[in-house]
Amino acid sequence: MIWNQVKNSEDSESILVVDNLSVSRSGRMIISDINLKVSRGEFIGLVGPNGSGKSTLILSILGILKPHTGLIKIYDEKPMSKNIFGKLGWVSQAAANLPSNIKITVRELVKLGTLKSSSMYKKVSNQKEKIDTAMTMVGIECCADCDVSTLSGGQRQRAVIARALASEAEFILLDEPLVGIDRESRNSLLKLLDKLCHEQQKTILMVSHDITAIRQTAHRMVYLEETIRYDGPTENFPDLTSLAGLRGITPVHDDKHTIEPHDHNKCMEEE
Amino acid sequence: MGLGGIIMDVFTPILEIFVPIIPGNIFPYFFGETINGEPLEMFQRALIAALMVTIVAGVLGSFLLIRNLALIGDGLAHVSFGGVAVGVVLGAASPLWYALLFSTIAAILIHELQTREILTGDASIAIFLTGMLALGLVILRLDMVFNVPVFGLIEINGGGITTDIEGYLFGNLLLIDEQSLDLISLICIVSLISLMSMRSMLLATAIDPLAARVQGIPVRGIGICFSIITAAVVVSMVQVVGTLLVTALLVTPAATAQLVGRSFRSCMIWTQIFGIVSVLIGLYYSSELDTGSGSMIALVSAIIFALTAAVIAIKNTILSPKDNIN
Repeated sequence: MIWNQVKNSEDSESILVVDNLSVSRSGRMIISDINLKVSRGEFIGLVGPNGSGKSTLILSILGILKPHTGLIKIYDEKPMSKNIFGKLGWVSQAAANLPSNIKITVRELVKLGTLKSSSMYKKVSNQKEKIDTAMTMVGIECCADCDVSTLSGGQRQRAVIARALASEAEFILLDEPLVGIDRESRNSLLKLLDKLCHEQQKTILMVSHDITAIRQTAHRMVYLEETIRYDGPTENFPDLTSLAGLRGITPVHDDKHTIEPHDHNKCMEEE
Repeated sequence: MGLGGIIMDVFTPILEIFVPIIPGNIFPYFFGETINGEPLEMFQRALIAALMVTIVAGVLGSFLLIRNLALIGDGLAHVSFGGVAVGVVLGAASPLWYALLFSTIAAILIHELQTREILTGDASIAIFLTGMLALGLVILRLDMVFNVPVFGLIEINGGGITTDIEGYLFGNLLLIDEQSLDLISLICIVSLISLMSMRSMLLATAIDPLAARVQGIPVRGIGICFSIITAAVVVSMVQVVGTLLVTALLVTPAATAQLVGRSFRSCMIWTQIFGIVSVLIGLYYSSELDTGSGSMIALVSAIIFALTAAVIAIKNTILSPKDNIN
């Protein structure tokens, strides 16, 4: 059964509308019948097992993948439209794992976020101010002149998020930002995202495997496995047993089939 | 007067200031030492060409390294050798134009093969490298006349590996004539302006192409422009260090800079320092010991890298020993 508990209020502005979306890759349908609306200021956790289509959905929203069927509108525009450049911020998993052959400081990395498609060759106005503000927002100003490769996983993620913030993006999409960072950094990163959502009115769509962590922060959870299996408030997110039911996983062991170690040995002897 | 002549007029008076402090018997001629009251223009032209090429190669090399394209310079240099060979056998006045055409086409094709994932890694570079080097070597041995429809009779006079051809293979600064300097100057100035104006976009597309696309940066267009610039700069370097040694100026100074730089900006500055020092020391020893200029520049560049790497390794071992790795 597909749970669809979210009824977006009529007055809230939908900045992302995904209507009946199906996307195939290499001839195989990865996601189908996706319907999703995201309103301004929401913090959505997109979860699902490996190969469930989370990245495919995100890449389609960004306009990197073309839909097989269906429609995507971001700020009432098609993905990759000129009018939405700068409104979207993308924080990929790869971005935080910069190759060691790239020597770049946090300030230089954040500065890249200020590049605009409309003024590629011009000097960006208030560039220094934008960079400093973005670094302060994520609390990485102390490492401004440090080489990114020397930072911890959590600091690197903050630097990459600062890059997205420097572009003054309103809608930030993050792909697995909690991977490879320690417990303390994970908690402070989640707090930072929550702060960005409440204090800066950013809309956040975050992909994560870490359901327990994302449940502590997101306002709304979307569970994806080929299609959306759950879309609703975080507090109503199904427990593990219900989740297994949603995924079509039935219990393997019951009382009848439980083999005690003693019985198992007996069987072996009989053979 | 061509562009090369204008640059000579501007920079030779500056180089002449250094003549009294330049050591050696031959090396001062590069700066404007006179014989019978006249400077040897051939030497001055050689130094100016070498310095221009080094500056542009340093900037380009910094971007090549972060894009994991260290070997493309080598590949395109071999392609340009094929172009030079075609130009020579067809009797072209300036075979470098043929090299420019061939390497530009190859650079775009290599970029497309890699980005469209038709061939992965350096396979496309290897194919063009060997294919065009082979074309050059074969065509230089040919001696025949073709009857080509529309174009009529085309005469091919191979002539084998002459001193001129060796100059393209191993570099011979003193063979740079006024026409070559015009082309080298044009390529260096246009490439430097293009690279500096695109530097932020090049960095953004190298670090995270997907995020760059989402930002609205034309990733594909930037990649093609970068390929064309790479092809042009490699052609401008062929006479300075030679086809076989292009990587010495393109990659080695930038790689050395990565050992000491702490930011992309500082790496770019260090690249220039290592590049110019390599050229000056290389030219000094090649002129004083009468060896090939290209090979000596490449050797000095490699020695500077080795010494820097050794110093850094020793410093790291003493100051910050690594974890318990056997």
